[in-house]
Amino acid sequence: MKQISIIVVLALSVLGFVAGESQAADLKKTTRPNGGTLSYGEYGRPATLDPITSNEMISMRLSELIFNGLVGISERQEIVPELAQRWEASKDGRTYTFFLRKDVTWHPKPGEEAKPFTANDVVFTYNIMMNPKTITPLKVRYEFIEKAEMLDEYTVQFTLKRPVLNALAKFSFKIIPRHGPSNPLYLTREDNFVQHPIGTGPYMLKNVTADREIVLVANEKYFKGRPHIDQFTAKPFADQNILTQALTFNAIDMIVLVNPRSIAEIQGDKRFILQPYNALSYSFFGYNLRNPLLADKRVRQAFGYAVNRQEMLDAFFNGQGTIISGPFAPGSWAYNLDVQPMPFNTQKATDLLREAGFKPGADGIMQKDGKKLELTLMVPIEKESEAVKRVVLAFQNYLKNIGVSVKVEFKEWQAWKENVFADHSFDIIFASWVFDDSADISSLFHSAEIGPWKNNFGSYSNPEVDALIVESKLTLDHEKRRTINRKLHALLADEAPYTFLWTLTNYSAYHKKLQHVAIHPYKFFSYADDWYIPVAAQK
Amino acid sequence: MMSRMHDIYRWGLLALLLAVVSSAAGAEDVSARALKLYEKHYYEDAGRLLRPQLAALDSASQPAARLTLGMIYLRSAELYLELQRTALVIETDYLKKLSAQKGANASRYADFYLGQALLEDGKFTESAKYLQRFSASAGVTAAYKSYANVELGAAYWRSKQAQKAGALWAAAAASTPEDKAALAAAYAAAGAQEHHPLAMADAAMDEAKKQGKPIGAHLAGNLLRAYADAPEKALDLLAANEFRGASFVEMLGQSKSISFYDPALLGDLAHAHLRAAVLYLEQAGRDPRLGNTAAYFLIDAYLLQGNAEQSLRQAAAFLAQSQLPAQYRDHASSRQAAAQYLAGKRQEANALWTDLAEKSAARPELLAEVMLSCTQASADCAKYEQRAVAATETGEGKKYFSLNAALGKYYLLRKDYAKAVLYMEAGRDKANKNKIEANDPVMLTGLAQAHYHNKKFSESLEIYFEMSKQYPAVRQIQDAMQGIYATEQRSAGDVKIF
Repeated sequence: MKQISIIVVLALSVLGFVAGESQAADLKKTTRPNGGTLSYGEYGRPATLDPITSNEMISMRLSELIFNGLVGISERQEIVPELAQRWEASKDGRTYTFFLRKDVTWHPKPGEEAKPFTANDVVFTYNIMMNPKTITPLKVRYEFIEKAEMLDEYTVQFTLKRPVLNALAKFSFKIIPRHGPSNPLYLTREDNFVQHPIGTGPYMLKNVTADREIVLVANEKYFKGRPHIDQFTAKPFADQNILTQALTFNAIDMIVLVNPRSIAEIQGDKRFILQPYNALSYSFFGYNLRNPLLADKRVRQAFGYAVNRQEMLDAFFNGQGTIISGPFAPGSWAYNLDVQPMPFNTQKATDLLREAGFKPGADGIMQKDGKKLELTLMVPIEKESEAVKRVVLAFQNYLKNIGVSVKVEFKEWQAWKENVFADHSFDIIFASWVFDDSADISSLFHSAEIGPWKNNFGSYSNPEVDALIVESKLTLDHEKRRTINRKLHALLADEAPYTFLWTLTNYSAYHKKLQHVAIHPYKFFSYADDWYIPVAAQK
Repeated sequence: MMSRMHDIYRWGLLALLLAVVSSAAGAEDVSARALKLYEKHYYEDAGRLLRPQLAALDSASQPAARLTLGMIYLRSAELYLELQRTALVIETDYLKKLSAQKGANASRYADFYLGQALLEDGKFTESAKYLQRFSASAGVTAAYKSYANVELGAAYWRSKQAQKAGALWAAAAASTPEDKAALAAAYAAAGAQEHHPLAMADAAMDEAKKQGKPIGAHLAGNLLRAYADAPEKALDLLAANEFRGASFVEMLGQSKSISFYDPALLGDLAHAHLRAAVLYLEQAGRDPRLGNTAAYFLIDAYLLQGNAEQSLRQAAAFLAQSQLPAQYRDHASSRQAAAQYLAGKRQEANALWTDLAEKSAARPELLAEVMLSCTQASADCAKYEQRAVAATETGEGKKYFSLNAALGKYYLLRKDYAKAVLYMEAGRDKANKNKIEANDPVMLTGLAQAHYHNKKFSESLEIYFEMSKQYPAVRQIQDAMQGIYATEQRSAGDVKIF
């Protein structure tokens, strides 16, 4: 087994070396024009603008424009050099040495000279990310690293606790500057840096307007060559329907994620291009297992049988999606095709509640030991699109049919995140996860990920799931990892820490004036420095 | 593609409705319901609904019902052929990866299935190499070694080494229903009727029933192949079994299992449906009211079978009618050109395609027909391609879906996968992205293959996920693609809240 991993690591390192040498000098040689601005619509606002403290997609997309990793991933799924010019892996797969570019500078602070990027920044990023006081969901991803050391100003070495599958790709995490955060030891959401990020990427933060629009301008000194478009502006919208209107009335040039109900309308408009991209995502109702009423899996399973998912998908999203059965998206390699979604069956739901010891009270609400089955469903107000509102109201109604009272509470986005991820003061949430294609669900369901600002918000804990997750991380065998993930899928579908709902159709829409648009299915803007607007179409 | 299908459907339906006017209301209902399923591209459901009712229909309703079944199985065959082409590409890639692994936890059975896949793909020498290696390997069951020898015989037979094939087959065990079915399948595929493959298959089936054995995927796959010349038996077998299960699951310790599927299955399904299509269309064609309609579909059916002469005869009969609506005449003519090309009449074919292309100025669907039939015939389509590209650049909207899809198919076969995706995406109903009701599943299959080549695995998997609801046999493509994707994915393990 070890030998296989060594061969893989060696092969990757050789490829990386070759790619690194050939692409290091690959500055832009095209004759595509510079200029123009691009405004894109986001459904909501980012809490922070740095790549470490955030766990949401809007921030991540901005990070992709502002920051770089040591390596990147090409459209062809190849590991390509970014801040690292080349790299070497040891034969045992435990040491990775990165040789950094010497021509990279950080975005300058106002009135200051741009500072050079060095190995010091890489080590700093790793250390601050792993500091126990740093609030970040990233730690679990990098627990396999034992240490990071600066060998010289432009060479950094990572020692791994053990060889891991796909190790090189994991060094795509974004590097932040040592001179960025005010506290050099750990990063919190109170640090000025998280709202005023400094990166090495193709775009620099210019300002955040009074309307909370985030304005980025081209980094003239970008090491891959100046990006073509002068300015990117992220505009927040509270409702997806309004996003579509903004596009059709030319208030924005691009929508990152089109409301499924608007796809037909945009497809019929010759000014726009609809581009599919497959961010592996799904929506779910998540339960807080700290509430004893929800700790019994029969109760959670009952909720799963009580909701008519297909009816909701058809009615509220025009059927633009797929019902799922477990913790992976259907487009993922890890999805267990043998596990079928729970069917809509209110009788079964009621039977399960009775089996769990609940009986209907005089008011029709199920109760057990004098406790009524009354729960609070918390929904962020910024995600209060018409469709979301309908989903939560339908859920409320479905559960009412089996004698469960659900009170819906709409919360401001930041307050919602604090309630869910920090205080854990909720019973049920409606939300969606978006995954990269590693199918890594460890941060969601491993018991070590229970705690403030960690992704296992519902405090789900199951030793069998923990063991499978660990086994999946330890193996260097792809087929074994597949088998383990199939088991995890089946187990979590049965355990029902979430009611798994659906994955929706993902389309971006943009104005035809934008050229050479390639979209990363997860990070979205990875190739945006190559996008351009013909001179005649520049505003 | 979609509009073509609709046109064909409507015209067929019109003829059919005329034919059933005098039929019993019940018969009309079942045929009409089957046609509705056909229109949604639910060919499996349509066949399952109508065929069991056939015997109970009165004689007046029979021809129309047989025509409907012929149409259903024809489109089903077309789809399975496309699926088979895709499956061979993806499964071969996947099995080669598995076969290349070494060590205690490496698969012992990958070589057998890789040998089968290569055999199915016409790579007989390479196939023989893997089958021989499998037969010589340790740690595999005697039964599988015996199957491997039967398959090796098939590889020899198809590479014109009949003596070596015969020796292997003669030495093969025939003690279990599985053994018998494997031999019957090999004899049937080789056309060795002197060994009575049909009777052998029947015997295998009877024996399995007597033993109370379930018809597993491996046995069923071989029986299907053995029933090559008995379409009704093949359809009975298909009706009684679900063809999605793995042929074999190899357990490698507690935490590793690999599912293997019969690489020939999708092709066998295609051929079974195609033979059934020809059977029912020919039967329907004997009714004077439906002869022309049946001929229209038989042009395509014979062409798919590679029987260009028969296709030409049907085209001539169909086109001899006066007052044919232009679009049906053009469809038949474009297929006639393909048949001419395949029959060696290349000049005539090119003249006909050129003539049709010149008439296509305001009719992108006609140019789509030209592109599709030219691509199907593997002819030089460059001059039609130029015209088609120019047309898609000036025209937009649903009217151009079929032309974009046809161009995408053309580029797929030329291995220009970026262009294939570009055009097929333009021909896709995005408001119903993966839904086979709104998008021709043949086009979606091609698009999925192009996405696979571009390493957009999740796009491809999503298409098959939807398709598997109606066509469970695509599981083998899904499983192989998941295996490739797991190896090829490069990402850091990130997850974010939306």
